[in-house]
Amino acid sequence: MDRRTFVRRTCIGSAGLLVGGLPALGSNEVVLPVAPPIDVHEAPLAKKSQLGMPGLFPGRVVEIADRRSIVANRVSQPIVHDMLERGLKELTGESSAQAAMTKFIEPKDVVGIKINPSGAPACCSSPELVREIISTVRSVGVPARNIVVYDRFGDEMDQGSYHAVLPPGIRVVNIQDGLLDASGYDANVYCQASFFGEWETRSYMASVVANGLDKIINVPTFKDHSASGVTGCLKNVAYGTFNNVARSHVAPYTFTNPLIGVMCTVEPLRSKVVLNIMDGMRMVWHGGPLTQNQEFIYATGLLMVSTDPVAMDTIELEAIDKKRLEQGAPSVWEHKASSITTDNREFYQDASKNLFYRQPGHIAAAGKLGLGVSDMKQIDHRRLQIS
Amino acid sequence: MEMANTSSVPDVPAVSENDWITLLKDNSRSGGQSAAALPSPGKARWQMRVGSSIRTAPVLREGTLYVTSIGGHLHAIQTDSGRLKWKFKAGRAIYSTPSLNGANVLFGCDDGKVYAVNGESGTKVWETATEGQVWTSPVVRQGVAFFGSADGHMYAVEAQTGKQRWEQELGGRVYSTAYAAEKKIYVGCGDGQVHCLDSATGKILWSTLTGNGIDSSPALVGDTLLIGSLDFYVYALDASNGAVRWKYETGLGVSSSPAVSGEVTVIGSKDGYLYALEIATGKLRWKTRASQVITAPAVFGDSAIYLQSGGVHALDAGTGNMLWRAGLASGVQNVPVIAGRTMYLTSNEGEVYALE
Repeated sequence: MDRRTFVRRTCIGSAGLLVGGLPALGSNEVVLPVAPPIDVHEAPLAKKSQLGMPGLFPGRVVEIADRRSIVANRVSQPIVHDMLERGLKELTGESSAQAAMTKFIEPKDVVGIKINPSGAPACCSSPELVREIISTVRSVGVPARNIVVYDRFGDEMDQGSYHAVLPPGIRVVNIQDGLLDASGYDANVYCQASFFGEWETRSYMASVVANGLDKIINVPTFKDHSASGVTGCLKNVAYGTFNNVARSHVAPYTFTNPLIGVMCTVEPLRSKVVLNIMDGMRMVWHGGPLTQNQEFIYATGLLMVSTDPVAMDTIELEAIDKKRLEQGAPSVWEHKASSITTDNREFYQDASKNLFYRQPGHIAAAGKLGLGVSDMKQIDHRRLQIS
Repeated sequence: MEMANTSSVPDVPAVSENDWITLLKDNSRSGGQSAAALPSPGKARWQMRVGSSIRTAPVLREGTLYVTSIGGHLHAIQTDSGRLKWKFKAGRAIYSTPSLNGANVLFGCDDGKVYAVNGESGTKVWETATEGQVWTSPVVRQGVAFFGSADGHMYAVEAQTGKQRWEQELGGRVYSTAYAAEKKIYVGCGDGQVHCLDSATGKILWSTLTGNGIDSSPALVGDTLLIGSLDFYVYALDASNGAVRWKYETGLGVSSSPAVSGEVTVIGSKDGYLYALEIATGKLRWKTRASQVITAPAVFGDSAIYLQSGGVHALDAGTGNMLWRAGLASGVQNVPVIAGRTMYLTSNEGEVYALE
């Protein structure tokens, strides 16, 4: 074995979590398969970063709300600027956004901004927010060429027009072109498991993450997810960093729990993610992550800032489930065979239907892996209502 | 007043009606309006794969289809057989639709360069460098190639040698393919501005700010400049001073580029609709939901409009009614080429089709 570290993560599978006290199973609920063990081959670090997940402020989540931030589906950059500044100041206790950012970023850093373009253009990391994050990182002294805005899939980034609308000098990078392109991944860093007897049992870490970046700012969206329950901080950096992740789902089953959490523990990813800024301008409460159906997209006008991805996703999960129940849709925790459809069109039109038995327990499982706080009673949820 | 010639290319004439030398067929963005409307394709005459994703429109001249790919190659493909004549390896991925000028094929590259490659032999004629990715298609007029770069500059180089004439800094990244009129260059910019530049010097003559970034490529019809913006609007500007004549609101950002035919322009929006607007007034003639998201431009046949977005679609040009769809050749910026009774398509999956 080379310098890399080979470990088997002790992970609590989906069935284990359900037994462990999450919502009780109804009489029509199905029994889900237990996840297999996941082997991790990672890059050893001389010293784990204190900035890595859950970061400098475990359990603290700042939520900033401003109704003016999204009007007629358009995001207001000046309002987002103000929201981001207030959020960073509240999170860190510093007097300016620049001072707050210096807690996470140094001028010498190569900084990755991990966007979520899946679902573009209807709901993706807003270019307006990404521009504000870039501006704040640059205020610390990071040159434009050392800022990398990235995601896995180029076609999704194209749909979001990120290349065109970000400032000159910033590198805008997609890791792969097409489903089978593995050239952008590091063959030495991977998670390995056989979920459904698949031929390729490894998922490799993106080379830009493994070798090209010093710090990562995670910019997830506020979405329901047909497999994982919600997609937030954890899923954005896990399934957005490793390849060959679709193999973790074979409808109606999915092993997003525990794979998402395990992937987030893999070094150097864990140490490099220093800040999460959730774009909650829009909430997708059904049809995520790819829906373009505006019926299921709600203009929430929120931003959330935290170093703790588990705490933030816990809040996201509660909010999305609440919205679903308000709209008469089943909870993301529901595991009834009658809710499952094999027809994608039906799923995208009918909020009572789903493609998988969702696995929102992936968030609590990530908490048990030490990535953050999943108990709502322990989360310091600070709300700033601007307008 | 500068008048766009909508029936021929001013200084780089197509050899035959079937030639398709740049984005939307010719420098006037006519989108192939002289091509006959095609019935629904009955078969693939040939199909080939280039080995990597294709995110650009092909161009065609004298029986050769030129296709750029993410793998960093320019491919020359024989249209009678689908056989590869040659391929040229550039420095990095290519997202730039090629354009033809004389014997050369011009295209930009992610290595920051624009290349000119001999269309017969596949050998490099010249290259010129910028400081950013070049996704735009070089547009040639009066012996000068104009193109924008992600470094935020517009460039003018001699089309035969690559020697630089001028460069002009704009306020944002340039992913909009320029429109070259006789004395002026029109282009959109990532900072939301539409610029008009003096084609001889690069001096900015006027700029008009829209509400968000622009990656749509403009078209000039008479003295009206048409362009989309990510602020959800399609704009018609006075080409002489940039004043807004009208703007039409769609449901999401407009990355697609206008194709023009007579009094009408057709343009897609990310809301999934294709819009037919009267050029003089901005009045909606029709709109049709063709796909979930439209980012590529459409092209005109005689009485039909063709669009690649989650497959290929044919719509009646007069009503917008869907004539037929084919579930192949998904694309983001891929555009069909129509030559006689054949439609050439490229796809995200790296396929090239000749359908008839």
